[in-house]
Amino acid sequence: MDPLSLPGVLDSLSEIGQYVNAAAQAAGLDKKVAYRLRLAVDEVATNSIIHGYEESGTSGDLVVRSEMDAEKLTIILEDSAPPFDLRSLQERPDHIDKPVEDRPIGGLGVYLTVKNVDKFDYEYANNHNRNIFVVNRPQSDGAKSG
Amino acid sequence: MAFKSTYELINGVAKITLSGELDAAAAPTFRADVERAAADKAKAVALLMSELEYMASAGLRALVFAKQKMGPQVEIYMIALQEPVMETITMTGFQNSVTFLDAYDAAKIEGV
Repeated sequence: MDPLSLPGVLDSLSEIGQYVNAAAQAAGLDKKVAYRLRLAVDEVATNSIIHGYEESGTSGDLVVRSEMDAEKLTIILEDSAPPFDLRSLQERPDHIDKPVEDRPIGGLGVYLTVKNVDKFDYEYANNHNRNIFVVNRPQSDGAKSG
Repeated sequence: MAFKSTYELINGVAKITLSGELDAAAAPTFRADVERAAADKAKAVALLMSELEYMASAGLRALVFAKQKMGPQVEIYMIALQEPVMETITMTGFQNSVTFLDAYDAAKIEGV
C-alpha cells in the first residue's frame, strides 16, 4: 500500500484507522487482531497530535506506512513533533486496578498500545518520531509444518 | 463510520445511544452527553452500545469524567457491547465500575 500523509489533527484519525484496517485485511489478520492494531495506532496518533503538535504549539503531518512480509505486518507512523518515546511512560498505569472514580484521567493509551501489538518500537531519525507497530500474520498449516 | 450519539432523559435515567467509531475526534460529543447527564442530575446513565463499532481510550476517559463528575453512586450501565469494545473495557479494568447488560431493562435501570 502507498504511504498516507495527513495533517496532524484529530480529524485525520478516522482515515488513519481506515488505512490500518485495509492493511490488516491485506495481511489476512483476523478481525480481533486487526481491531487491536488499529486501536494501538490510533492511540499513538492521538498522542502525537495532542501532546506532540498541539501542546508544543507546532503543526505538521502524520505519515502512515505499511510493510508486509510472510511473517508479519508492520505499520510505521511518523510525525515531526518534538522527540518523544512513548515507551518512556509507564507501561501499566498504577491506577488500573482502582475504581474508575478514583483514577486520574489519562495513562491508558500507552497501555493499550503495548498490549495490543506483538511488538512496539520507536526511533527518532531525520527529525521525525517513528513509531513502529508489528503484528504477526497468521501462518497456514503448510507454513507451520514446513 | 462516523460517530453519532443521541441523548434522552427517561424517568431520571440518561439514556445515551452510541453508534459508529468513538475516537479522540469524536470524544467531545460523547463528553457533552455526559455533561448533560450530570447537569440533569441523572440517577443512572445507560449507554446503548450495540452499534458502537470502535472505542479508543478517549471514550474511556469520558467515562472516568462521568464517574468523577456525577459521583460513584450513579450507576453506569453498558448495554449490548460489541466484543472488541468489551475487550478494551476489560483490558483497562473498567468492568469493575460499570454494569453490563445484554438489553435495556427499564425495571432494573429506571426502577419503574
